[in-house]
Amino acid sequence: MRGFGAIYRRELAALFLGPLAWTLLCIALLLNGYLFLLYLRGSGGDIDLALRFSLGESFVFWALCVLLPPLLTMRMLSEEARSGLLEYLLTAPVSDTAVICGKFAAALSFMALLWGTVFFYAAVLAAQGAPIDWGVVSAGWIGAVLCSALFCGTGLWASSLTATPVVAAFAAVVINLVIVLLPLFASLSGMPLLVLATESVDVPSHLRSAFVFGVMDTAYVTFFGAWTAFFLFLSSRALEARRWR
Amino acid sequence: MISVSHLTRTFGSVTALDDVSFEVHKGEVVGLLGPNGAGKTTAMRVLTGYLPATSGAVSVAGFDVMNRSLEVRRRIGYLPESVPLYRELRVVEMLGFHARLHRLPRAEAKKRIPAVLERVGVADRSRDLIGHLSRGLRQRVGLAVALLPSPEVLILDEPTSGLDPLQRIEVRTILRDLAHQHTVLVSSHILPEIEAVCPRVIIVHRGRIAADGTQAELVRRLAGGSHVRIEAVLGADASAAARLLGAIAGVREVRDCGKAGIHQQYELVCDTDLREEAGALARVRGWALRELSWRAPTLEQIFARFAMGGEETPAAAALAPAAVHAEPTGLEVNLGPAAAAPKKQIYSLNPFDRGAQRDLSRPVGDDEGGPPPS
Repeated sequence: MRGFGAIYRRELAALFLGPLAWTLLCIALLLNGYLFLLYLRGSGGDIDLALRFSLGESFVFWALCVLLPPLLTMRMLSEEARSGLLEYLLTAPVSDTAVICGKFAAALSFMALLWGTVFFYAAVLAAQGAPIDWGVVSAGWIGAVLCSALFCGTGLWASSLTATPVVAAFAAVVINLVIVLLPLFASLSGMPLLVLATESVDVPSHLRSAFVFGVMDTAYVTFFGAWTAFFLFLSSRALEARRWR
Repeated sequence: MISVSHLTRTFGSVTALDDVSFEVHKGEVVGLLGPNGAGKTTAMRVLTGYLPATSGAVSVAGFDVMNRSLEVRRRIGYLPESVPLYRELRVVEMLGFHARLHRLPRAEAKKRIPAVLERVGVADRSRDLIGHLSRGLRQRVGLAVALLPSPEVLILDEPTSGLDPLQRIEVRTILRDLAHQHTVLVSSHILPEIEAVCPRVIIVHRGRIAADGTQAELVRRLAGGSHVRIEAVLGADASAAARLLGAIAGVREVRDCGKAGIHQQYELVCDTDLREEAGALARVRGWALRELSWRAPTLEQIFARFAMGGEETPAAAALAPAAVHAEPTGLEVNLGPAAAAPKKQIYSLNPFDRGAQRDLSRPVGDDEGGPPPS
């Protein structure tokens, strides 16, 4: 993993030197903060329930998960392939894996920062005297980050396949939608066998049934880790395949 | 330092490199010369490990490019033709990033960065955003990036393309300086560049090595060397002239080029300018001189012959058995049409004929048709 650190730093700098990351962060934070207030009011002051909504149960959470990572990762490989920077990176003494992982880690850091605001909400509530279960907050955050990691993985893969960022973003959104809506499709089909088959790759329920309740199940952590690793592997293969074409 | 043997690279049905073999030794400066699409960039990409070879073995600095790719990449400085740089970074930041990729110790990077910027002449622009720099300045920053880790081998793909003549001269000067410390492989389709910088030239044509050797060797072998051309009315010496001219010290061969009207034409093949000697002979013998000239072909003329004459003329066939090197210092050359019998034609690819040619033994307007007088 030589060069991982250097690439990670540069990607992070590139994200935050451009207006895109700040715009996305601004919109997402406004939305999240406002919705958290609404959830808090709607739940009648149940902080755990409001947090659960913020980090997994609500529609907006999934919308952000599906839309934001592709926007962050769309440029990462496709634009470099077009500008020739990929040739620069792949002839520098760094491995393909380091290039992919560095870029992935930068996108994931952004998402972690975004979801990290729940700690801020919790701290504000704690300052008001409300009892906060920090374990639940942390587990919820870890779950949200793991879930975003999977979507950053798909985004990076899509970016490695095309030389046009917009196409990459669109493809990644479609892939993400399929992943999120797969259980819905299965139940709509009415075939029990299909429902059973999709259950084991059901991303939303893997998040909802454990992390948001403060449960850190290694099986579920492995589930997200394995899928993320799979998409990162596909990305690095796509990068390799580029050389043979 | 660089060893390429039987390298072939295909893109689908297109063969970009076809059984290419050459070697570059430590400290050598080699120019890769060829028309657009000849396979120069592909060759360089294979050398840097960016593209894998379809077949053949390539090693740089003693490491196989495919299997020990990272070792190779640590030892080369590569400047791709497109000069890829992060536009949103400042010049020093870009170099800092490159230093981190190469794991240069921080203290060393701090010393090297201003040094290389000074060397390529952009020290005063080090705080500028790369996106704001002109093409020429970016080219220099790219060169600085390639130079930063002080690589053993420098591979520069068209380092002067897109530069104005002044910048070109500056880059050329930089390249000449580099030659003392690095093994350099430069590609270009601009000949004066290669002529000015590289003692050794590899001419690539249609994915094959058409010629490989020092400039002087190439000129001598491919174009039949330099010669003194003499055209004179010989008078009584008509029969003895060839023998007399051949007796001049340094003349390797006397070619009888036939008669143009009353003037007899000869070409004296020699390595040095023998005009004075030939002139003295003419004066002594009382020949009426019409022309006495020294003709040394340039690399450009040889190159043009490869680039232009490769398709329709028998040159392509002559080029086909490309030079395969057993011994890198030796010169291997494929003689093109020069080896064939001289044939009078309206447009000649012979570098000495300089384009259009008229058969002088016939009246003007009678150029076409009819065999030349024997």
